[in-house]
Amino acid sequence: MRRQLRSRRAPASPYGYRSRLDDQDEVNQNYLADEEEEAEEEARVTVVPDLEEEEEEEEEEEEEEEEEEEEEAKAEEKGQGQPAGNAWWQRWQIVNEYLWDPEKRMSLARTGLILVIYFFFYASLAAVVTLCMYTLFLTISPYMPTFTERVKPPGVMIRPFAHSLNFNFNVSEPDTWQHYVISLNGFLQGYNDSLQEEMNVDCPPGQYFIQDGDEEEDKKACQFKRSFLKNCSGLEDPTFGYSTGQPCILLKMNRIVGFRPELGDPVKVSCKVQRGDENDIRSINYYPESASFDLRYYPYYGKLTHVNYTSPLVAMHFTDVVKNQAVPVQCQLKGKGIINDVINDRFVGRVIFTLNIET
Amino acid sequence: MTKKTLEIYSVELSGTKDIQQTDKGNGKEKYRGLKNCFEPRKNHYKEELRKEVDLDDHKLSIKELEKKYDTNIITGLSSTQAAELLARNGPNALTPPKETPEIIKFLKQMVGGFSILLWIGAILCWIAYGIQYSMNTSSSLDNVYLGCVLALVVILTGIFAYYQEAKSTNIMATFNKMIPQQALVIRDSEKMTIPAEELVVGDIVEIRGGDRIPADIRLLSVQGCKVDNSSLTGESEPQPRSSEFTHDSPLETKNIGFYSTTCLEGTATGMVINTGDRTIIGQIASLASGVGNEKTPIAIEIQHFVHIVAGVAVSIGILFFIIAVSLKYQVLDSIIFLIGIIVANVPEGLLATVTVTLSLTAKRMAKKNCLVKNLEAVETLGSTSIICSDKTGTLTQNRMTVAHLWFDNQIFIADTSEDHSNQVFDQSSGTWASLSKIITLCNRAEFSPGQESVPIMKRVVVGDASETALLKFSEVILGDVMEIRKRNHKVAEIPFNSTNKFQLSIHKTDDPNDQRFLLVMKGAPERILEKCSTIMVNGQKQPLDKNTAEAFHTAYMELGGLGERVLGFCHLYLPADEFPETYTFDVDTMNFPTSNLCFVGLLSMIDPPRSTVPDAVTKCRSAGIKVIMVTGDHPITAKAIAKSVGIISANSETVEDIAKRLHIAVEQVNKRDAKAAVVTGMELKDMSPEQLDELLTNYSEIVFARTSPQQKLIIVEGCQRQNAVVAVTGDGVNDSPALKKADIGIAMGIAGSDAAKNAADMILLDDNFASIVTGVEEGRLIFDNLKKTIAYTLTKNIAELCPFLIYIIVGLPLPIGTITILFIDLGTDIIPSIALAYEKAESDIMNRKPRHKKKDRLVNQQLAIYSYLHIGLMQAVGAFVAYFTVYAQEGFKPSILINIRVEWEDSNVNDLEDSYGQQWTWYQRKYLEWMGYTAFFVGIMVQQIADLIIRKTRRNSIFQQGLFRPQYWFVAVPFAILIWVYDEVRKLFIRLYPGSWWDKNMYY
Repeated sequence: MRRQLRSRRAPASPYGYRSRLDDQDEVNQNYLADEEEEAEEEARVTVVPDLEEEEEEEEEEEEEEEEEEEEEAKAEEKGQGQPAGNAWWQRWQIVNEYLWDPEKRMSLARTGLILVIYFFFYASLAAVVTLCMYTLFLTISPYMPTFTERVKPPGVMIRPFAHSLNFNFNVSEPDTWQHYVISLNGFLQGYNDSLQEEMNVDCPPGQYFIQDGDEEEDKKACQFKRSFLKNCSGLEDPTFGYSTGQPCILLKMNRIVGFRPELGDPVKVSCKVQRGDENDIRSINYYPESASFDLRYYPYYGKLTHVNYTSPLVAMHFTDVVKNQAVPVQCQLKGKGIINDVINDRFVGRVIFTLNIET
Repeated sequence: MTKKTLEIYSVELSGTKDIQQTDKGNGKEKYRGLKNCFEPRKNHYKEELRKEVDLDDHKLSIKELEKKYDTNIITGLSSTQAAELLARNGPNALTPPKETPEIIKFLKQMVGGFSILLWIGAILCWIAYGIQYSMNTSSSLDNVYLGCVLALVVILTGIFAYYQEAKSTNIMATFNKMIPQQALVIRDSEKMTIPAEELVVGDIVEIRGGDRIPADIRLLSVQGCKVDNSSLTGESEPQPRSSEFTHDSPLETKNIGFYSTTCLEGTATGMVINTGDRTIIGQIASLASGVGNEKTPIAIEIQHFVHIVAGVAVSIGILFFIIAVSLKYQVLDSIIFLIGIIVANVPEGLLATVTVTLSLTAKRMAKKNCLVKNLEAVETLGSTSIICSDKTGTLTQNRMTVAHLWFDNQIFIADTSEDHSNQVFDQSSGTWASLSKIITLCNRAEFSPGQESVPIMKRVVVGDASETALLKFSEVILGDVMEIRKRNHKVAEIPFNSTNKFQLSIHKTDDPNDQRFLLVMKGAPERILEKCSTIMVNGQKQPLDKNTAEAFHTAYMELGGLGERVLGFCHLYLPADEFPETYTFDVDTMNFPTSNLCFVGLLSMIDPPRSTVPDAVTKCRSAGIKVIMVTGDHPITAKAIAKSVGIISANSETVEDIAKRLHIAVEQVNKRDAKAAVVTGMELKDMSPEQLDELLTNYSEIVFARTSPQQKLIIVEGCQRQNAVVAVTGDGVNDSPALKKADIGIAMGIAGSDAAKNAADMILLDDNFASIVTGVEEGRLIFDNLKKTIAYTLTKNIAELCPFLIYIIVGLPLPIGTITILFIDLGTDIIPSIALAYEKAESDIMNRKPRHKKKDRLVNQQLAIYSYLHIGLMQAVGAFVAYFTVYAQEGFKPSILINIRVEWEDSNVNDLEDSYGQQWTWYQRKYLEWMGYTAFFVGIMVQQIADLIIRKTRRNSIFQQGLFRPQYWFVAVPFAILIWVYDEVRKLFIRLYPGSWWDKNMYY
């Protein structure tokens, strides 16, 4: 490789073109153009193998010689060159020095060229990636995920949620439960009756709210009014029962595009003490009273078209729970096609939380 | 015969006055070279020298000796005296080189360059877990597992490497289990046989032909004793011994026998003057232990590689630590990231791969008769640029063989190949008939009985080397020599002795009509010629005139110039009238003529080169390896052998040759004209290190003759100063210091002494120089292939590291987990990277120069950059595409993944929304994350297949190198389809007819 480089460079030595520069200008111009190309090529060649670096020590002497030669050449050139040739020559020199600085060998051009090469390399890599991702998105529908088997069966989550599933509060100290109330209020803003009536339609209960038609059409959503939650709506009791030690907890089922509960038999919610004395919870009120998610809220068409969809809720009003002790509660979904006993996932079809109400 | 410059060994033994005088001029310079190599142990070495100086027993008279050692040459020591001395001086045995305890050897395997990297990785993992645990007691155990796996890898690889080396050590140990040596000693006026170990100074021992001399002994009385000093001095010819003091130097004087040399013939009585480590050989052996072991080139390369990896790891780690901190991660989290990045850079599988690769090659080399003691030495041969080869036994066959004959005024060439099968010289002449008769009859050597089935050249012979050569030569040409001797009954004989310098015997002839006795004689040619008045030409007696004498001298000089040992042969038919059949010959009074004989011919012998050597030397040449011959033998012989094997090529000349050709003085020759040089130990002694360097650089073909063990060491050092990787071959104890000093010491398996084998890194099981060449080839191949392996392994490092970096910066769910990475590194990648060790060479690796120690690195910048920034990055990107595809198809488009990390990993968030508004529980997300791992893993895997294919070659196209022919992949495809279809049918029937016979038998 090294030898090749040398031999390639040989004709480009300063003496080589000095003698030719003495000829006519036109010839010069053509020639210099060639030279530029050649120099570029030369620089490119030198970039690829880094043999240079390793052989640098050895070559220092040679380089010095070259340098001297070049300087001589320049000196002579100043004396001999014709005016027009000079202009070209200077331009050539600038380009030459930029591309090939004999003193350092690591010239700006070389660093530059490395950057350019890497730029192109990575640019083409990026282009390939972009192409891949583009084709990927072409194959993916924006309305319907390609696969939903991972997200099925639906998970369950409760509100209020403050990064913990332990509800510890003291009835007589509002500070301990105030954030639950705020959280619930905030969560239920979207369920305000006025808003629901304005945005959503009142669809017939007990059956799927199927909206055929084009995928990209906007879908209508069924109303789920805050008032459905009665005592737990926060309308009558703005503290959602927390001030009386009868907390309301809202339960919702995770949204899954296209998920439909079994026909005719809506998914029900039932809560009980998970471990320990069953009588720790003496009564729970469910709102809506059916304690179920009505079929009309299904299916879900995805957030792009089903913009105003509000997840149906079931409120559990723990009206009589043993006080001053932690009560683990498990709320399960019940219904055909609902799985609530996955060992690894404690949030599929069920949710477990503890109530510790102090008085 | 060959004259010897006897002064040479006095270099090391300067105690005697004469030599001090001769060396006065440069007395200070004398030990220059030695001082260089023993600088740190100067004092110790001086001590050793003084001991050598003390050896002047050879100059003492027997009376003085008796006084000195308080003994009596008739009665010997008393057993009480002996027991006392034994208790004081210890047993007469060489202290074995300090055995490294096995546990140290084992631990050494665990802390090599690579292992350190893994250990550090493991410890960092545990530290990281400690930090995590202190923050959150329920943190994942991944880091602990990773740490344990890393430690396990080191330990297992260590055990493997240890086992490999222990195995070759065992093979070595079985070489020659020596039978405990016995010595015949006179004690309490009684001759008794005791183990040689119990000998003490002052003991009177008797030795006879075939014995190993049990200690350094001063010979008291000698009967035709010859010893083989080759293991000590490298002289291949038997050295005669006598009881007279002949030389100031104890190594040259004839009245000293050295420990561990062999008495070839005759008998002698001697007094023990040195035992155990105090013997000359013991002192040389202890030199070896003073020479440090050099790091092998591959160890240096691996260290260099570790530096690169560590550099990359730490710099990326710190960079991302800073980024993480500035991204407002907690400092402790950032530290864990830092550790994670560093650990991710550790190529877990590479240590195992390199070890396995090396041992595979070692195994392959063992099959080619190169036993590798140290795994890393496998590669060292490949980078060898200078081979300092011993002559005797390595380049030559180590046995005298008839090389030339001169009769009828003509020189004939005999076949010197290993089996002698092809003797083509003209055997029709009458002179040959006579000559062959002399050769057969005037010879005392005999085959040991019971070897009829053994090829002639391999039979064991009782007798000295030249007689053996003659016996075998005649046996090959004439057939049953013993039968011929029987038919020509021997009536009288004068054996060879150094004063007569001839051997004579008188026989009855096998011709019943001829009643004359035949007197045959052989010996030093000039002595034989003196006794002759006629010469036989073409079977006819002719008067020996000036012309024929001239012809004789020319032939004699010519053969002598070839470094061969020349013998003259003559005969005489005794006239029947003077010597009737009943005549009694008396060898003491010599009642028969020993002059006016008829000269028949000359015959010359040499220890010929092995037939494979010239080819091997040529191969070394074309592989850019300089072959230097270093021998204790005579320069002329050395040069002749060097020429015949090509160490000095046919058309190159030494300064002396040029001087001779141009008839000018040696000083007038332009030294640049000469390519070759023959340097004697004498000249070497006077050289400064600079001069030696100059010699080594300026001459491409060098022969060192008459060198001492210490000088061998100096030569090796000189070569190493040229930045050369030096291989040294040797067999004798005298070679062991040089073997140890060399980058790779190669000992001879058959002829080698234990000391040499201990000091060496590699053992040639067949003692054949040509095996070195195959070793070089394997070594070079393994270097290339290791390069490929490392390139392959490094590539995926970036693909394993990038996910973590992206995870930190962009906050994506982790694309690939630790365990999965381990599965790649220690699972799927191991076999392909080992497979690369079997890759065949791309071009003729024996036609390029050896790699430069400092410039051609195993892992260079190009390799690292190409692996990391080109292929590695492509691979990472490819795997990321796979990862994004999985997430996007499941509902998480890339845009939503950005900075999702905290919520994603929060196990309390169980309704995380994806791009479609679906809500995911923590476990569902986790499951998806694992799918992502798998996708990423598969992504890397698939690309590693391509990576593996591209790594097969570095320059050639894959299609030039050749793949498994693609069409063969499809041969079995129909059967694969058949299996599939068949099974579908099976399942169909099971479903169609539940409970049927089919179901019962075919459902599993």
